[in-house]
Parts: sequence; structure tokens; C-alpha cells
Amino acid sequence: MSGSLTLLKEKHIRYIESLDTKKHNFEYWLTEHLRLNGIYWGLTALCVLDSPETFVKEEVISFVLSCWDDKYGAFAPFPRHDAHLLTTLSAVQILATYDALDVLGKDRKVRLISFIRGNQLEDGSFQGDRFGEVDTRFVYTALSALSILGELTSEVVDPAVDFVLKCYNFDGGFGLCPNAESHAAQAFTCLGALAIANKLDMLSDDQLEEIGWWLCERQLPEGGLNGRPSKLPDVCYSWWVLSSLAIIGRLDWINYEKLTEFILKCQDEKKGGISDRPENEVDVFHTVFGVAGLSLMGYDNLVPIDPIYCMPKSVTSKFKKYPYK
Amino acid sequence: MRDEKIYSIEALKKTSELLKKNPEFNAIWNYRRDIIASLASELEIPFWDKELVFVMMLLKDYPKVYWIWNHRLWVLKHYPTSSPKVWQTELAVVNKLLEQDARNYHGWHYRRIVVGNIESITNKSLDKEEFEYTTIKINNNISNYSAWHQRVQIISRMFQKGEVGNQKEYIRTEISYIINAMFTDAEDQSVWFYIKWFIKNDIVCKTLDEQEYLKMLKDLRENILLINNDEIEFSGKQNIWCLKILLVLEDILEEKEALTERSSEQYLVQLIDADPLRKNRYLHLLEQHK
Repeated sequence: MSGSLTLLKEKHIRYIESLDTKKHNFEYWLTEHLRLNGIYWGLTALCVLDSPETFVKEEVISFVLSCWDDKYGAFAPFPRHDAHLLTTLSAVQILATYDALDVLGKDRKVRLISFIRGNQLEDGSFQGDRFGEVDTRFVYTALSALSILGELTSEVVDPAVDFVLKCYNFDGGFGLCPNAESHAAQAFTCLGALAIANKLDMLSDDQLEEIGWWLCERQLPEGGLNGRPSKLPDVCYSWWVLSSLAIIGRLDWINYEKLTEFILKCQDEKKGGISDRPENEVDVFHTVFGVAGLSLMGYDNLVPIDPIYCMPKSVTSKFKKYPYK
Repeated sequence: MRDEKIYSIEALKKTSELLKKNPEFNAIWNYRRDIIASLASELEIPFWDKELVFVMMLLKDYPKVYWIWNHRLWVLKHYPTSSPKVWQTELAVVNKLLEQDARNYHGWHYRRIVVGNIESITNKSLDKEEFEYTTIKINNNISNYSAWHQRVQIISRMFQKGEVGNQKEYIRTEISYIINAMFTDAEDQSVWFYIKWFIKNDIVCKTLDEQEYLKMLKDLRENILLINNDEIEFSGKQNIWCLKILLVLEDILEEKEALTERSSEQYLVQLIDADPLRKNRYLHLLEQHK
């Protein structure tokens, strides 16, 4: 490890650029199910690093459209895979980042909205697809996608908010469903969903204090953040925990200097990219959440990121704010 | 094959091959479920059991893949008979998993679902057994936060459903269990988060009368001060979790007008020094205490 740590911007840009060039090997097939998410992660990291043009916009948009699953009317992770809420959000985020939502066309947009709404269950929760898995991740995914499209309605939002509030725990965290253990990633999905719904005021001052407390206890002596008590630190929590703290206005309840140092130690100095922990193999998921976390802390003039949407602020500032006038 | 809507045992075997290579390939799981659903009327119980074995084999290698857990639940949901035996087997499966990885997030989630199903089929509450299970897990490792979390869920439910005979006795037993845990490992945050819940929640506040409640808080405070003093003597440092929970205790006592001497500001100043990562939270609390 070199003496003074800096963010190796150029290396990270080259690393992300290199990811899509090995198309015909087995590893590529193994990660097809994450491809559209991967492009969203890569593009967002590039935006934060102020280098979105590293991806060819037209190629990305045409790949996104090739992931359209016409049977179910939403986006799959890869051509001929199946539509799911997670990948549908990634598609919408990519198109919105490129200011290209128009390419959906009217028909596709109508079907997309009905796919999302169609996965809401009676208790306000969402299933990821027709097979019934319920998770607050999907509530966030659904609300975020509808919000980006400017298509939230109280019929969808109100029961979803009720469900999210039921996932709040005794310790100030949120779980994947009612009664499930608190997890920092679920704090982000729940607080993000409430923020998108403009319903953060459903949380009392006491609850906000408790939430802030539980979140700031995620920082470990080595500077990194964990997702649950007594677990190891991981760079991705630089996003889940920090964005949550930012949403409730308590971003500075963790120590920036120590966290920054931890993230920078997770860089691969040779090939670029960021890993979960120092010395581990890098990937695009940890790369985006590493640089996004640094951006929230105002590091080195990185492009500002929106803690609610995990997209550049310059993009999200154009979204219609709910409730619509 | 999928595009041609082929739903045959032959196709099912192909999906097995692919899933063994890549269990994260969600579209193949989906195709597999569509095949099973379309053949369901011809499938006998041994088929479903074999499917559970197949899923188990994959879970052993990939215990953290959402899609596999998801598929297992789907299989159980569509299992032809709803005898408790199937779910009891699942309980054994999840016991085994939590032996290997006592904090597995999916495992604990899955356990709650399994127990819920057994309870609804047999119409009998398993709260007492599950409460005992958390005790075993915590006794094995006091930092098992998943077990402490589960303990909160179960105690809340037992009181709500009136499953506790002598409620005051129950709370007294629990408080001595907590104090014991506190002395066992005062560094780990798990037990402290539990204590924070325990002293503030409605169950305890309403079961004990005002005098008993205040006495409990004061006893607890004495014990925490004792641990902290031991630590100062031993290492020359304050125990930061003792200070954090003393703050909570003082807030409650003050609200009940039972606080004789207030040390909160002092604790906060000490925490700024002893727990610098969270300095800004303590500065914020100091501001509030003014």
C-alpha cells in the first residue's frame, strides 16, 4: 500500500470500460443475470467520476431495449431472460440518466407501469415477479421506478408506506419484511421509499434519533461500515448506511476520514476498481457504492449523487416531486 | 425449449444441469417452475421430495443465493399435502444451517416462515420452544444479534397472546439473564441493543408497577456502573456501551422524576473522547441536553 491514499479515478474509469469486452466466455454467461444492473452500476460510477461518455450512449440504450421482455411487459437482466422489478428499475435508471425515457414509447411505458403496479400485494408490499418473493427491496424498486416515470399514485403509495413502517424494528433499523432482523441495506430501501413517497414525517423525532443511532453504530474501528452488528465491514455499506443517514439528515454521525481511508484501501491500484474489503477481488458493484459513498462525503469534487435515488443529482433534480400538483 | 413452451421431464432435467452450473440464473428457475406447474397433476409426492433434495444440494454450496431459497419456498407452497411433517423436516434443515452459520440472514428469515407454517397447520403456538431456541443460540455465542432480535419478537408475541403465566416473574428472570449477559461480554453491542429495548418497551413498563419499574432501572444502573468501574480499573478506559446505556437510563429516570443526580453531560463529554467515530452524535445530544 502506498503512503498517501488518493482516489484512482482514471484507473476506475478504465476498469469499468473493460468490463463488457469479454463476451464469449463462461464467466460472462455466469453473470448474465446481473448484466442490466451491472450497466446501471457502471454508468452511475462513471457519472460520479464525471466520465459518462466512457460508455457509448446509443449502444447502451439499444442493449437496454433488447432486454425488454414482451411476454410480461418489463425489463429482464439480459435478452431472453425474464422480467423482474430489480432489473426494471435498472433499465429505467439508465434511460433516465441518459434523458432517454422517450425511447420507451407509449405502449411499452403503459405496460411497464402496469407490470410494476401488478406486483403490489394486498398488504402494500411488492413481489419481485409473479413467483411471490416479498422484500422491502421491491417496495423501493417499485416506488423508485414509478417516481422516475412520474407515475406514482396514492393507491400505490399509501399501502406501500404502511408496509414499510411495519418493517421498522425495536433497534432503529428496518428488516426485509415485518419481524425480520434489521439490515443496513433494508434501511436504505425503507427510508428511500418513504423519502420518494414524501412520507418521512411518518417517523417520529424519537424514531429518527434511534435510526441514526443504529446506523452510526455500523462504523467499525478500522473505518469501514458493516450491515448488521458483529459483522465484517464491506464497502457497499458505505452506500447503504451513508445514504440512509443522509436521508434523515445525519450524514456526519460517522467519521468521514476513517471511512474514506477504508474505501481507498479497497482500490486495486493496478487494474482499478474497488472491492468489498482490502486485498479482495474488485467488482463493479463495490466500485459504484465506493465512489457513491465518497461523493456523499463530498470527497475530491466528485459529481454529487442523490442519496434517495443513487443517481446523479443533476438527473434527479428534474424528477416530478410526489405528491404531484 | 422454453420458447417452444416445452414442459416435460426431459426439459426439467436440462434445467437441473444448468442450475447446477449457475444457480443465480433466475430465468431458468422460472422455466423450471413453469414446467413443474404444468405437470403438477401427474406428479406424485416422491417427485416433490426429490425436488427438495435437489434444492438442498444447491443450498449447501450457495447458502446466500436468494433465488434458491425462493424456489424452496415455492416448492413447499405447492407441495401436494399440507402435513406438518414436511415443515418439521424444514425446521431440522434450518437448524442445521444455523448451526453452520449462526447469523445467516436468509436462515433466520426462513425459520420464521417455517415456524409460522407449522403453527398454522397444527394450530399450536411454538413460542415457548422458539424462545428456548434463542436462549441456546445466545448461550452459544452472546454476540448472536440475530438471536437477540428473535427474542424480542417472541417475547412481544407471548405477552400479546397472553402466553406468559406469571408475567412479573418472567420479567425478573429475564432481567437477571440480561445482567448475566452484560457481565459476560460488555464489549459487544448485541446485548446492549437488547437492553435498550427491554427497559423502554411497553411490556415491561406495564407489567411492573411504578415502584418495581424504577427499582429495576436503578438496579440495572448500579450494575452498569460496576462494570464500567471494573473496566476503568482494569484498562484505564471507560466502557463506551456502559456510558451509552447509562444515558438512556438517565433519560427515563428523569422523565419519571426519579433522577437525583444527573451525569448525562459528563457521559457525553467522556464519549466524545472514548468513542470518537460517533463524536457528532454526542455533540448533537449535548446540544439537546442543554
